Amino acid sequence: MPRPSPSGVGLGLRLPFYGEAADRDLDVPFWEIAPENVIGGGGLEAEQLRAALARKPVLSHGLTLSVGGFDPWDGPYLDQVAAFLESTGAPWHSEHLCFTAVDGTTTLDLLPLPFTGAAARHAAARARDLAGRLPVPLLLENITYYGELGQGDLTEAQFLAEVLEGADVGWLLDVNNLYVNALNFGFDPFAWLEGMPLHRVGQMHVAGHHRYGDLVVDTHGAPVPDPVTALMGFALARIGRPVPVLLERDNEIPPLPRLLAERASLQEAYDHALAAIA
Amino acid sequence: MTTPLPPSPDGLPRILALQRALAGLAFAPEAADFQADPRAFGTARGLGPGDREALFRWRDRLLFYREGVRGAVWEPLEGIYPLALALLARDGALEACRTAFLAARPFQSPFHRDIAATFVGWLADTGWGRERWPALLELAHFELVRILVEHGRDDVPGPEDLHPDPRPGDLALLRPSTQVLAYGHRVAEATLDWPEPVPGPCHLLAARGPDGYVRWRELTEVAAALLVRAQTTPMAEAAAALGLDDGPGALRFLEELRVWGALAGFTDAGRLPRGPDACPTRSGPPPAGAPS
Repeated sequence: MPRPSPSGVGLGLRLPFYGEAADRDLDVPFWEIAPENVIGGGGLEAEQLRAALARKPVLSHGLTLSVGGFDPWDGPYLDQVAAFLESTGAPWHSEHLCFTAVDGTTTLDLLPLPFTGAAARHAAARARDLAGRLPVPLLLENITYYGELGQGDLTEAQFLAEVLEGADVGWLLDVNNLYVNALNFGFDPFAWLEGMPLHRVGQMHVAGHHRYGDLVVDTHGAPVPDPVTALMGFALARIGRPVPVLLERDNEIPPLPRLLAERASLQEAYDHALAAIA
Repeated sequence: MTTPLPPSPDGLPRILALQRALAGLAFAPEAADFQADPRAFGTARGLGPGDREALFRWRDRLLFYREGVRGAVWEPLEGIYPLALALLARDGALEACRTAFLAARPFQSPFHRDIAATFVGWLADTGWGRERWPALLELAHFELVRILVEHGRDDVPGPEDLHPDPRPGDLALLRPSTQVLAYGHRVAEATLDWPEPVPGPCHLLAARGPDGYVRWRELTEVAAALLVRAQTTPMAEAAAALGLDDGPGALRFLEELRVWGALAGFTDAGRLPRGPDACPTRSGPPPAGAPS
């Protein structure tokens, strides 16, 4: 039986907030956390983290399973992820549609896959296989990409759709990644969304970004700009369901009250978008 | 242990070659050959004409990925190893260390936090910088211990008879996160202004305090030996073997370390198998390859 899904706008649980999130019932409907940052940890931070996660619904967002790569799965790590998903009651687990390891070396960065049919079929097969090893459904996130790796024969949208459909997995629609890609590659993100399998969206991400010369970078280091909020509302309206939205902030993290205020503002936009389709 | 994947369909060698090319660019000591001629870079890696043209077209953006990977792997170390990196920076060798570390592609864990221990492991395995900075490995290990102590797991059940008051026939049980350390340089005296420790014995005890942070205590050589030996030998025997006449004083010392937070408590030696291999807790020596 599917586990209940949270809704509304949640926050990524980050180290500066562990203590307060453990001690207080903050105005956040759910936390998202990377299992890599929880599994096996000890000490005060781990205690605070576990206490905080016990207070709220948890969404699991992985950083290192190289879905589009070629390295074998790390079996013991997958077992640990499965145990984490069971212990937290997370309704799904998400990973990025990219590669993060080559020949045993972890890159610690999200690297782009070639936009080719072969790469899409390979990633779809890997994702389907991975999904079969997890106790909950798998969602894949569209990443920000800054250049293409090799000569593609698909667009990013075609590539993404082929992987999602081929793997029969859910989609973590990262609205900021879409918007940044649209700025960097000059396309209309609203039109882009119209052609995508939105019925597969199970969660969304929003974040801020920075411009460096002619390149816009997904920094997660600034407030969510208005166009991303608008794109979130547009996507919610098209999806027609209250999928949870996660506010990501990983750099230049503001004091918690300011982040909670930004979350509340996004929640208003979220509620407004859903009210329009009710 | 790994889990085999389903068979790969055709056409994948090209995808793998592209991934290897980008990873190779990211970890290579120099990017000059790629910058100068991306097409030749692709040729050398077995890429076809279309992929070589893509490397040329996206040259600057692929270099952006190179910097991203290098930053993601290296930047966490800057907060973990301020003293060791200050020592290298003082002598203008920081970039050389970064380049060599990244070129070794040493990081293989899914856990980002493991990058800390990976750096010390790399220094120990390769001996990088050992001749020029004999204390570098010890200094880095000393800084790593803070992470190990603060983030180590202590929720390991002890023996049933674990008790707080030591008796002569007891063994001492360290908390799992506690580290007993012996260095050949005075690492505890290093500062950002003077990061090169002078030679000299340095016996340290590192334990997690009630606030969750590491606390340090310098031990005499005999005290450190007692602490190590008392984990596998009844405390009175351990004290006698070290020539300590004041057996009750040794017990008081170990009791004090329990109150200080380094020890979980004490257990009757007769209840546990004897010998170093049967020790129920870590005695805390540095990891393989690290100073001892």
